[in-house]
Formats: sequence, C-alpha cells, structure tokens
Amino acid sequence: MNILIVEDEKALLSSMTDYLTGTGMHCDTAETLEAALLQISNNDYDCILLDIGLPDGNGFKVIEAMQEKDHATGILIISARNSLDDRLTGLNIGADDYITKPFHMPELIARIKSVARRRSSTERKALIFHEIKLIPDEMVMYIGEKMLSLTKKEHELMVYLINNPNRVLTKEAIAEHLWGDHADIADSFDFIYSHIKNLRKKIIDCGGKDYIKSVYGVGYKFTAE
Amino acid sequence: MKLLNLTNRFYIIVALTLLLVSSVFLAYRVIYLIDTETTEHMLYTKLRVEQQIIAQPQLQKVAFTIGDNIRVEPINRFSTFKVQLRDTIRYDEYEEGLIPFREMTYEQQILGEAYRISISQRLTQNNDLVSGLTITFLLVAIDIIACFYFLNRYFSSSIWRPFYKALDTLKKFDLQRGGQVRFETSRVDEFNALNEELIKLTEKVNSDYRNLKEFTENMSHETQTPLAIIRSKLELLLQSDNLRPEQMEQVHATLDAINRLTKMNRGLIMLTRIENDQYAEEELVEIGALLQSRLEDLELFMQSRGLSVETVLAQDVSVRMNKYLADILVSNLLSNAIKYNREGGKLIVSLFADSLMVSNSGTPLSIPDHRIFERFKRGDSPDSVGLGLAIVKRICDHYHFFLSYRYDEDLHRFYVQFPKERRNNA
Repeated sequence: MNILIVEDEKALLSSMTDYLTGTGMHCDTAETLEAALLQISNNDYDCILLDIGLPDGNGFKVIEAMQEKDHATGILIISARNSLDDRLTGLNIGADDYITKPFHMPELIARIKSVARRRSSTERKALIFHEIKLIPDEMVMYIGEKMLSLTKKEHELMVYLINNPNRVLTKEAIAEHLWGDHADIADSFDFIYSHIKNLRKKIIDCGGKDYIKSVYGVGYKFTAE
Repeated sequence: MKLLNLTNRFYIIVALTLLLVSSVFLAYRVIYLIDTETTEHMLYTKLRVEQQIIAQPQLQKVAFTIGDNIRVEPINRFSTFKVQLRDTIRYDEYEEGLIPFREMTYEQQILGEAYRISISQRLTQNNDLVSGLTITFLLVAIDIIACFYFLNRYFSSSIWRPFYKALDTLKKFDLQRGGQVRFETSRVDEFNALNEELIKLTEKVNSDYRNLKEFTENMSHETQTPLAIIRSKLELLLQSDNLRPEQMEQVHATLDAINRLTKMNRGLIMLTRIENDQYAEEELVEIGALLQSRLEDLELFMQSRGLSVETVLAQDVSVRMNKYLADILVSNLLSNAIKYNREGGKLIVSLFADSLMVSNSGTPLSIPDHRIFERFKRGDSPDSVGLGLAIVKRICDHYHFFLSYRYDEDLHRFYVQFPKERRNNA
C-alpha cells in the first residue's frame, strides 16, 4: 500500500513513517505543501495522511489538487483537537476521514485501511487473515467455510485486530477504539478481556486457530506466529 | 437593609428619643414656671389684702370672705410668721367635682391686730395649659421630623443614585464575556474615586483572566504535538522485538501516563473552546432521544456494574443548543453516574418538561458540595481526569442552565434546569 504522509513536525513524521513501514506499507513523506503537491503529481497513492497546518500554506490545497486528478486515493486529515472547522471543511471538500492528535498508531492504521478500502473495488472489501474472513459491513465472520455471527463490539474489535496484525496493541488503544471518550468509564479493560475471551472461544469452536496472544500487562497481539 | 433606610431609621430613633425627653422636660419646665407664677400671684394677693384692710376700716377686726379665694379672720394672738403653702382638693359647686387648689395660710399683724388669712387658687387651668403646650410642641416637632425624613429620603436617593448605578453595573459584569464597565460621573468625589478604582480593578481582573485563558489555551494547544510525538515514539518502541517484558511494562506505564495527559489536554481544550464560544451553531436537540442513545451506548458498562437503571423520560423535550455540547453534557452526566456508582447501585434518569435529573447511589462526597464542579476535583477513580463535571458546569453556564447538586437518601442528584427561552415547550 502506497502512503503519502504530509506533516511538518519531523519527529511525528518519522515515527509515523517507521510505524507504517513496519506494517508493510510504503511511505513517501512531505514536510511542506510544495513538496506534497510535487509528490502527488508524480505518484499515485492509496492514501494520503494530511496535516492541514503546513508552514507554506493550507493543506486543503492538496485535497483540491487530488480532486482534479480523478483519483482512487483516500485522504485522511490529521488535525489538532481545537480545529473542528478544519475537519468539517476538509470533509466537505473531499477528505474521507480525520484523526485528531495525539492518536494511537494502531488507530491510524485502522483508519488508513478503512479509508483505502472504501476507495477500492468491491472484491477487496473483505478482510482476510489466514482462514478468517471478515465482511466489514456485516456482523458475520467466516472461519474457513463456517459462518459465525458477532456482536457489534466483537465485530469492531475483530476489524481492528485484523487491520493491525503482528503489532502489540495496548489495552488503552483498544478501549479508545471501541468506546471513544467513554473508555475511562468503569474498568473497560475487563470488557476487552471478556470480548477477547468470547472471540477466541467462537473462533476455536469453529475450528479456527487462536491468533490473539496476550502480552502480559500491556495488551494483546494478533499474530499467526 | 438598605443604606438609606438604615440612616433614616437611625435618625428617626434619635429624633423620637430626643422628642420624648424634651417634651417631658418641657412639661416639667412649664409646670415649674406656672407653679412659681401661682405662688407669686398669691403673694401679691397677700399684699393687696393687707392694703385693703388698712385702707378700709370696716374690714378691720372682722372676719370676712371674698369669694372662695380669700378668707380673713381676726385671732387673739399672733403666734407665727410662717407662711403655710399646701395643695389640696376641694369640692367645687360650680364644676360639681373635686378640683385641685393651692392654699396659702398665714398670720399677720395689721395695725396692731392679728389676723389669720388664707388665700387659695384653683390649679386646673394650669394643668390644661401644661398638656396643651406639650401637645402643641409634640405636633410641631413631629411635623419637623417628618419633613426632614422625607427631604432626607429624597436628597439621599438622588445623592446615592450614582452609587446604586455603579452597583448595578458591577452586578452585570461578566468576565467570560469580556466585561467592560462604565460609570457615570457624580457630584460626589468619593463616588468618583470609587468608580475610578473599580474601573482599574475590573481592567486588571479582565487582563488577568485573559492571560490565564490564553495560557491554558496555548498550553493545551502547544502540548498536542509533543504529546503526539511521545505517544507515537512509545508505540513504535512497543513494537520492537527485543524488548524484555519488564521494559515493555515500563513503556506501557509511560504510555498510560501520556494517555492521562492527553485526556486532560482534551478536556482543557474543550473548556476553552466553550468559553471562546466556538460551538456557536445551535439547533433544537431532543434530549430524550439523546439520553436514550447514550444509555444504549453505556449499557454494557451499567450491566457490568450490576446497576439497576430507572428512566422516566418526558416526551418531546427539546432544548436549543449546540448538538455536540448537548451530547457531551448528557454523556458526562451519565458516565459520572456510572463511574461513581456503587456495585449493584441505582441509576435514575428523569427527564421532565423543563429539567433533567440524573441520580446515582454512592457514598457521600469527601469535599464540600459546591466544589464538585471544580476542575480536577475527582473521586477515587484513578482513571478519571476530573474534568467531566467541570465541563458540564461550563456548558450549563454557557447556556444559562441552572445546575445543582445535592445528596440525599443515599443518592447523588444532579439537576439541570433548562430556562424557558431555550425550550421548545415553554
């Protein structure tokens, strides 16, 4: 997957690049508007991560330039918390989604994949991990040929896990993905634990393998290793 | 009590006391004067009697009476020079009643003969005079006091008017709306001095408040990027294959602290955004539907704590406000009621035509009731940042909703009253 990251904060840019590269994505970077416009005129991307506040101009120009290009590129705005207007404007002129700083990296991955999937053709829409096949918009999962139904939260959790294979996912990141701002009510980690337990049981009962590994004290890892 | 009333009351009490004292004094003074005058008059009569006896030989050596007042009788031997004065009561035929009299009795030698003479004088008119004078005095004095009272009221209220106006201006002073105060000039120097100081003071308060707000704003804004960098670096570190489990836990603990900082940062940003009126868009938000949907979102959390939930939702209660803020208001109240509930406790959500009440079981607060809406005043939940209720309070203040808290019958009750002008059903 080809990604263009437009971000003027070098340290953040480098860790995003490292993290995304670690998941097998190919990343180009741009720290200025000029560099970003040059990159999109020369290359095709599956997704662009776009910071709006750039030193030499407004990131919206990138969205406008993409509109002229007749593209299949997903655009994900990276915005500051207090710039609601930027997000709304961005979505109005053609961005697909936004994520606010500071964000969890697995969350970023999940968003990128979901944006890219929405832009791509239908046959690629199912999420596949070995024998597991997940249909994003339906609450069902296939283990080989066997179909099993999931609750809404189990489904969201499964999508998140499949989108972030082989990564350590902290309990906090999972909780925030599932419950957003409500994540700190009561002990949401207990719920994650019970959801994971149920998922494991459902998958194993259908003859699937247990890919959800606990990382003691930290969280979980979805891996075939 | 108003200043005017206080001074007036003081004046009246003093005036009435003085009046009472002086009228008593007046009465005694008049009585004394009349008394001396009566005695003097009798002494004059005494002289006249002596002259008459000397002048008219037919009056000598005989007893005679002139009216009721003078009685002369010759006596054998002169025994004393003493003049006896006494007040007595006599039956008066004309008035058909007992009348006070003053009686003067003495012995006197006139042309070598001794006489006992008694002269008496009615005292009634004197008493009437005293009471008449006192009453007149009282009436005049009361008139004067009343006059002064009303004049004082009138002048004071016109003199104090700039003061009350200034007070009014101060009452309307609102920091969050960047309050500017303006006072009118008065003829009274002290008021002008006071107003000048007030203007200086409010300007200082305004600029301090602005600085503080800017600081919070900049602080929360400028920390976002460093926080994002720290978090991303730590999450990256977490993915390295060669971390030992204890190192991993350390990274995780650091991440956890960053999460708390992030939440705090988000809360503060929200507070400043509400203050800066950045949620200006308003629409009629149906509170019942919003509550229903948030309760559904939170169902899992309520179940897990074994809470028994009671909801009484009035139909068609809509409030004109920002949709996002309405969501935050409802969510924060509900999540607070879940977070600080006891295991198996109660959660009661009641929506009335003009208000919302969210109640939950729990132990009494360890802080005073009114401090519950302050920033960073959180209960014993380690995950909580302590901004939820502060945000609720700020939203309510922003829309002039009346927000109150009380604890009774083992329940924490949060009550939000929507003012008439913001409701659809008013």
